[in-house]
Amino acid sequence: MSVQVQDVTQHEPPDSQGASALPEKVASPAEDPSPKPQPKPRSKKAPEIPIFERQNWLIHLHYIRKEYSTCKALIKERLSESSGMCEYALYVQALILRQEGRIQESLECFQTCALINAQNPNNLKQVARSLFLLGRHKAAIDVYSEAAKLSERDWEISHNQGVCYMYLKDYLKAKECLKQAIQFNKHDLSYVMLAKIYLIEDDLHMAIDVYKRAIESSPENPELLTTLGLLYLQVGQNQRAFEHLGNALTYDPCNVKAILAAGSMMQFHGDFDVALTKYRIAASSVPESASLWNNIGMCFFGKKKLVAAISCLKRAAYLAPFDWKVMYNLGLVHLTMSQYASAFHFLSAAINLKPKMGQLYMLLAVALTHLEDIENARKSYEQAASLDTKEATINLNFCIFLYNHGERKAAAKQFSLFEQKFKKMKDSATQEVDPEILEAANKLGPALQVGESLVWKSESSTGPSSDTSTPKTSSQEDSDITKQMAAAPLPPDHDPAGKGKAKGDKEPLLG
Amino acid sequence: MATEAEQNKMNDSLASDGNRGNSQGGSSKWLSAHFDPVASLYTFSSCMTFSDITGDGENRLVIADLGTGAHNMKLKIYKGTSLVNENTIIDLPTGVATFYMDTIEPRVPAVAVASGPYLYVYKNLRPYFKFTLPPLEVNPVEQDLWNQARDDKIDVTVLREMLDSIRREGTEGALTVRSLRFLMLPDRDQMEMFAQSYKHTPLKRQTVITCLATLKKSSAEDDAISCLVVGTECKEIYVLDPEAFTIQARMSVPSVPVFLRVTGLFDVEYRLVVSCRNGNIYTLKKGMKTGKLCVELTSQPVGVERIGKNIIAGCMDQTLQCYTIKGKKLWTVYLSDNIITMSVMDHKQKGFKAVMVALDNGDVQIYRDKYLIDTIKTDSAITGIQYGRFGREDCSLVLTTRKGGLLIKILKRNAVFEEKDFARGPPAAQNQRLNVPKKTKVFVDQTMRERENGVAMHRMFQHDLYRLRLNTAREYVKVLNSSMNPVSTNLAEPLKLSAQVQGIGPTFKMTVNLQNTSLSVPIMNTLISFLYDEKLYSLQKTMIPVPLLVPGLNYKFETLVECVNDKGISDVIKAFVVKEGATSPIITAVINMPVSETVVVA
Repeated sequence: MSVQVQDVTQHEPPDSQGASALPEKVASPAEDPSPKPQPKPRSKKAPEIPIFERQNWLIHLHYIRKEYSTCKALIKERLSESSGMCEYALYVQALILRQEGRIQESLECFQTCALINAQNPNNLKQVARSLFLLGRHKAAIDVYSEAAKLSERDWEISHNQGVCYMYLKDYLKAKECLKQAIQFNKHDLSYVMLAKIYLIEDDLHMAIDVYKRAIESSPENPELLTTLGLLYLQVGQNQRAFEHLGNALTYDPCNVKAILAAGSMMQFHGDFDVALTKYRIAASSVPESASLWNNIGMCFFGKKKLVAAISCLKRAAYLAPFDWKVMYNLGLVHLTMSQYASAFHFLSAAINLKPKMGQLYMLLAVALTHLEDIENARKSYEQAASLDTKEATINLNFCIFLYNHGERKAAAKQFSLFEQKFKKMKDSATQEVDPEILEAANKLGPALQVGESLVWKSESSTGPSSDTSTPKTSSQEDSDITKQMAAAPLPPDHDPAGKGKAKGDKEPLLG
Repeated sequence: MATEAEQNKMNDSLASDGNRGNSQGGSSKWLSAHFDPVASLYTFSSCMTFSDITGDGENRLVIADLGTGAHNMKLKIYKGTSLVNENTIIDLPTGVATFYMDTIEPRVPAVAVASGPYLYVYKNLRPYFKFTLPPLEVNPVEQDLWNQARDDKIDVTVLREMLDSIRREGTEGALTVRSLRFLMLPDRDQMEMFAQSYKHTPLKRQTVITCLATLKKSSAEDDAISCLVVGTECKEIYVLDPEAFTIQARMSVPSVPVFLRVTGLFDVEYRLVVSCRNGNIYTLKKGMKTGKLCVELTSQPVGVERIGKNIIAGCMDQTLQCYTIKGKKLWTVYLSDNIITMSVMDHKQKGFKAVMVALDNGDVQIYRDKYLIDTIKTDSAITGIQYGRFGREDCSLVLTTRKGGLLIKILKRNAVFEEKDFARGPPAAQNQRLNVPKKTKVFVDQTMRERENGVAMHRMFQHDLYRLRLNTAREYVKVLNSSMNPVSTNLAEPLKLSAQVQGIGPTFKMTVNLQNTSLSVPIMNTLISFLYDEKLYSLQKTMIPVPLLVPGLNYKFETLVECVNDKGISDVIKAFVVKEGATSPIITAVINMPVSETVVVA
């Protein structure tokens, strides 16, 4: 055993050529010299062939450091030496190809790996993964089932099969597989996928439940916390939503999604300064998010910095020209600035993008009233009232409009409609009632000589003002407008995450 | 809620103020002792260690250098900042470990270098001993075949066929590299030659070492005798006796081990934490034969360290994750860049252990639990990192860069690491002002103007809009009446016409494309003619007869147009498609000719 370490001068022949590894064919410094194992009778000495797998560790070390070019050079060397028979080198090459987006080539490499070594479940798993990435979900499921025979209780297999079934829209099986995967190993990813399926099936409560369990196993994952927060927001549990979003921000203060959602909630409660400081963080990481600039704009609007609000909203509109919410907010801000002509343009743009929204027509009608286009304003009010049967302010504004144009009868009709809706709204009372609505209604009721049973009378401390004469047109106009502001801006300005899912999530809240 | 958030914000900003000085002072906790940008070291953390290899009480830095990756592999010994010794290594070194192998005075530790299937042991800077991994079992059928070949009972073609069939059966690693090589040979002559030269040497199947660690044998003192622990490509882990170099314990794991962390004493109780190539971490205790699954990571680990009872793994997905030895997840830290390597900083004076994480952007972050306690910034990504006693300095840090440089840093004696994380609190971005676009005076003026004249503006706009629409409609009718449109509205001849002009002049090529857009009706008896100013242009073909147009196909007609005017002016050419005998064209294309470039140049 105690052999002295050989000195390097005694090189063994290079074997990278492979074709003729003759012992005497020693060239210049050998490329892969291998030490001579045992002293043998000189005559019979045959060079030892180093095994193909001898640099797998090095390939692996470079691969995990993402030093792909070094890795590829090494792999090329190994593969040419072994005529492509080095399984692990081929495996890593395929992984790198996949990273580079060359999925088809990667699939072929993995298939070769599986041919070289059919007993290794990893090869099959990767083949299946490549098939999955190529969108061939059925084939992927089959290969995964093959792999499952070689590797039991494998989280990866169950999870990926579940995901494949999800894309094949076989949600029942998908859930089954994912639940199984979670049994094998509690990875966050499986929970996220399972919740996604419940969301596709519109089962919000199950999705929330899944996320709760996910957070139990991984309590500090900001992504999970944020998504759960957003889900709570969707089911209206604002307190819990805020808790989770806050937690997400403690673990990852730069999580843009959480910042936007939490910020919009702060805005909702009027904490514009806090919201703005949070938005600063988001602005440095996603400076091109339209939702972010929209929210910042509405913060400034809340702080009555109208010029800044317009600047920010215009940036949002530049970034997302087809977002009706930005247009809506721009219209609103311009109404406040009494730039009715501009407001008209933004609102009509918003209506073009979102034609079925009553509130937009109401704002348009307000703009048109100020632009002295009475005919169109009336049409617009009518449209608004027919599209939105819940919002009481539409009827109130319509009523004021009619009253100002001397149509008492029609005004009285709108007023009673307003009373009905307002009562309903108060009964379900999720939001506090805007005092300005009360004030306008209080003035209007006596003026129209209707509404003896004013629903708000009991609550309203001030009651109808002693001045029962017809309110001055100008002041009415003012209250009309400002009330709009108070009533209308809220829905669109919380628009948490940018495009896609989160936004879709929020839509129901608006309706 | 608001006040709470506000309060948090206040606290955050206070904390960040307090800590900012700290973070700047972060790297100043270290004295830069030495920087050699051209040390040309290609190494890993596993190939670096500190040891008192001469026994004079002064620790040397031992680095196994991978050279170019193919040549010049060396075992380098640094004393202070100078390279004092170099030993050539024959193959790529996988890992380096120093250990006391005996109790002979003076106590001098040996250096073990793992390389291929061998462990080279150096003592007193001299080669001392070579240990070879035990060969693996050879497939008996294969053995038999080579035996027969040796005795010339079968010839090479038969041998080849038989070996090939074994390979195709596909039980893992069944063939030796000799057989695989043999199967790769293209023709009979070479097979003969190969068989001739190899058939007399005994057949064996070897494996290589993938990782190396040490394990104290029976006492925990610093200079106690240690066993070597090696992980191999054949998914086995051996514990070697330091004196006789016999295998004391043999264990297996389900995948190839990559990182090996050892705690405990071999004779008492020990535990191995092994991270494998399948991305899982296994644990092994004394007496266990196979590894027990501890953690299944979702991403490949780039480094695994054991601190106290916890396992800390840095993963390829830029996370640092901590698990208990039972496999329960404790925390995750999301890092700003890819991890390159990791190592433990055992600050004995202050009595804590931290994890050093080298990132791709050149930062080395030091985490104590999940709290970032220090960041060292360097110019190049760090590929190897080791903390320990170097020379007579207990708190030294040696770093090798991707470019091959060598950095040595010493921790200041007065350096204090905060208990808590200095990166906590609000991110720096929170203190940046929002980049709100400024508005000009013109904007304000226009706003004022709109406020005053809003109604008039609106009316004017509406008025103009109506006129625009009216004009558009009128023009459209006009075009339809005079067949000036490029798409025929006539149901009898549904045609599409487009034209393009190529060239820079004075001769242009004009291509007219015609397409019959009807589904089934072919169009016959049509012509293409042109209307142009004869003083400006001359056309090669002024009239092109059009063949029968099959529905759907695109027809191309070409003519050369020469600009005969040298004034550098251009005009339009109208292309008509006319039906024979009809007075008005079916469709018209108006082609804006470009200015003839050569005229401009001239």
